[in-house]
Amino acid sequence: MEIAEKSPISQKLAPHPLVFMRFRPAWAYIDGIREFGRFFCQTTFGTRELADRACVVLQETLENAVKYSSNSPDSELELSIESDGSNIEFSVSSLPDAAHLSSLREELSGIQTLDPEQAYLAAFVRASNEPEASARLGLARIRYEGGVELSMKEETGGRIRITATGKL
Amino acid sequence: MSEFSTVRVPKVDTIAIQLTGPNQVKLSGTITQKDPASDLAGFFKALHTAAIVDKLGEVRADVSGLTFVNSSAIRLFVDWATWVKNERGHRYTLRFVTSRNVTWQKTAFLALMSLTKDVLAIEHVS
Repeated sequence: MEIAEKSPISQKLAPHPLVFMRFRPAWAYIDGIREFGRFFCQTTFGTRELADRACVVLQETLENAVKYSSNSPDSELELSIESDGSNIEFSVSSLPDAAHLSSLREELSGIQTLDPEQAYLAAFVRASNEPEASARLGLARIRYEGGVELSMKEETGGRIRITATGKL
Repeated sequence: MSEFSTVRVPKVDTIAIQLTGPNQVKLSGTITQKDPASDLAGFFKALHTAAIVDKLGEVRADVSGLTFVNSSAIRLFVDWATWVKNERGHRYTLRFVTSRNVTWQKTAFLALMSLTKDVLAIEHVS
């Protein structure tokens, strides 16, 4: 199942990503990978604005992937960053537990019915009205603050790939 | 001595927290823990309760030095603003001092302002 079709942009991107990492789903790695992403985007593309956006995308996508990864030995995460010179794509592949998969599908479908700013505001309203519930601000924040669109592709073996695509 | 000034400040890796006055708290660093509420929710709640006991007109939370936070940390600021908004007794203005140079602060506090503008104030510093 593919929640959102992989964009034409991503199909044009180079077959060899600029960055590719594979690692165990451990929270301790997230800060370091986020800051590497900041450094990489600042150095490669020369804009602090993109570096800040990359930090949000990486932090929130990796947090989700780590939090909801299954305990399987095959649950390593894969992160890639690609660009075609006009656009940038961050992609995180993970093996989530089954319960998370259905809520992720639902949440992605829900936020994509609103524009990024409206979806972010709606997440704040939900957080305020449901103080005991999970925040669920992360995906809306990725779209709005990260300036990207999100898609999810379900792959063989139960893996999923969350892709965030935006302008450079 | 005010209740606010005597609230116990938690020690949290990656964050420096200071009570800088009878109605002021300053946070700097980063908040990216898996569950920042376990370190900070009780502290923010204690500041909120103390502000009511002290009948403060305003609490200044200087977050301008918080260079990056995750969405779970943003949720803590939403919660704090919501406690003030829902307060039936003494209400104070919660003033967040933010940096123009830190991206997450611009987007998060604008969104928060739209939700709780009657109890919130945002001050920008460079």
